[in-house]
Amino acid sequence: MSHYPEPGTWTTCVACGRHVHHSQWGPLRQCPYCKHWQRLTAQRRLDQLVDPGSFHALPMPERPVNELHFPGYDQKLARAAQRTTSSEAVVIGTATVRHHPAVFAVMDSYFMMGTLNTAVTRRIVTASRVARKRHLPLIIVTASGGARMQEGVYALVGMNLILAEFARLAAVPVPLITVLTDPTMGGISASFAFRGDVVVAEAGAKIGFAGARVIQQTMPVDLPADFQTAASLLDHGMLDAVVERPRLRAYLANVLAAYHLEGDVNHG
Amino acid sequence: MDERLRRLRAANRISAPTVIKALLPTMVVQRGDRLLGRDAALTAGFGPSVTGQSLAVLGVDRGADLAARRAKNGGALTVPGYRTALRVVEHAQKFNLPVVSLINMPGADASPTSERFGQSQAIADLMAATGQLTVPNVVVFLGEGHSGGALAFANANRIIMLDDALFNVASPEAVAAILHGQQTVSAAIDLLPMTAAKLANRGLVDQVIKHQATDLVATLVTAITAQLATLERMGASALIEQRKAKFQQLLATWPVN
Repeated sequence: MSHYPEPGTWTTCVACGRHVHHSQWGPLRQCPYCKHWQRLTAQRRLDQLVDPGSFHALPMPERPVNELHFPGYDQKLARAAQRTTSSEAVVIGTATVRHHPAVFAVMDSYFMMGTLNTAVTRRIVTASRVARKRHLPLIIVTASGGARMQEGVYALVGMNLILAEFARLAAVPVPLITVLTDPTMGGISASFAFRGDVVVAEAGAKIGFAGARVIQQTMPVDLPADFQTAASLLDHGMLDAVVERPRLRAYLANVLAAYHLEGDVNHG
Repeated sequence: MDERLRRLRAANRISAPTVIKALLPTMVVQRGDRLLGRDAALTAGFGPSVTGQSLAVLGVDRGADLAARRAKNGGALTVPGYRTALRVVEHAQKFNLPVVSLINMPGADASPTSERFGQSQAIADLMAATGQLTVPNVVVFLGEGHSGGALAFANANRIIMLDDALFNVASPEAVAAILHGQQTVSAAIDLLPMTAAKLANRGLVDQVIKHQATDLVATLVTAITAQLATLERMGASALIEQRKAKFQQLLATWPVN
């Protein structure tokens, strides 16, 4: 028998650097020492937000393809597949939140930093169409560094294609609720993240367009400690609410109840 | 710097204001977003074109000399710029004026101020609006256009590019950066389809114009007018659908495994 613990037994907290045993993270994945909220895979996020057993995945046939033969992309995709159970950077499906039905698109920062590519675009467009046809609110949980550069302009046009689909959603109207989690940057924040009818952020999330490192490469400025934090965006009028992770499910249930749509998870 | 990039970023590069002056000689200039301020990098307005048709225009350029470059932030549009552009397209829609955009802009304005005042939201709102325009729109890439900021203007029925212009998800420098210096910036230009010829091959770009054409300004004015003529019989919903179909067709060529 090996003297080493199973891989995954101990993880380093990215915020405080302490070693945390897997049993100490708890179901909500919070560092026991510094109270930092660990980023979640799409599966863990869904487990926390939706009623147990209510999630039904929508068809997600697309596997990523390195169509442009971008150097190193195949290896990055292979590594991403080891880090999460998601087959791409977003998972889509229907579920209920305290018995209120909704369509979900949950991004996964463990899959190539949740970047927007052709497959992610197709999935979000599919989720939006299902929401429109079944007259169910669409909840998007963002966790993304932006557009995926390895897919070039094909990734870029996901931004306007998703916005075009959301215009059809708005015409019905079907509510779009965006939940911004850590990180929500670049092409995600500059396309649909803030276009929700209700825009809420998880406490502690970094949200912005150009990241702090890029800004400091451009100009030598001292950025405030709360730069691009959910709390500062709330203060600046960019968000409806900042919600702590344990309260997010109740918050969403309350929003869904407020719209009281008569949609059906199974039909349409 | 890479020779191709140097040419696109040169002070003597053909600029949006030059083309706009030829296209709309008596343009009523629109400035400011009525909230935060104005952006000198944006040249915008409306008026009768040389062919008599009334148009709205949006131009983004880097500035021809040092003072202009400073005033225009090197063409990196700021929040008031995007918000002014949004005001201009809403006005164009109200009066049924086709919209012509001419761009040569670097990526995002990486600054705390732009973040503070909602650069993300300003780009997203402009992109959403251009996609749903009930009037025809045409974009001309006079130089570079990368990332969401450029796409907000390029969400158009027709895309025209000069043959040496570039359009990509990110600047060649940013593409080289994700490869940790394994590739030069020059090599990065060829790693992804971002040149006019490659994007035309893939069906995203409708027309490529030689940057060395004799009387380039007149050639551009003719091309813009001709492209708008192909759209004039289309109704509001057909324009919205055509715009979407154009980008969907590009996505559809990416294989599903």
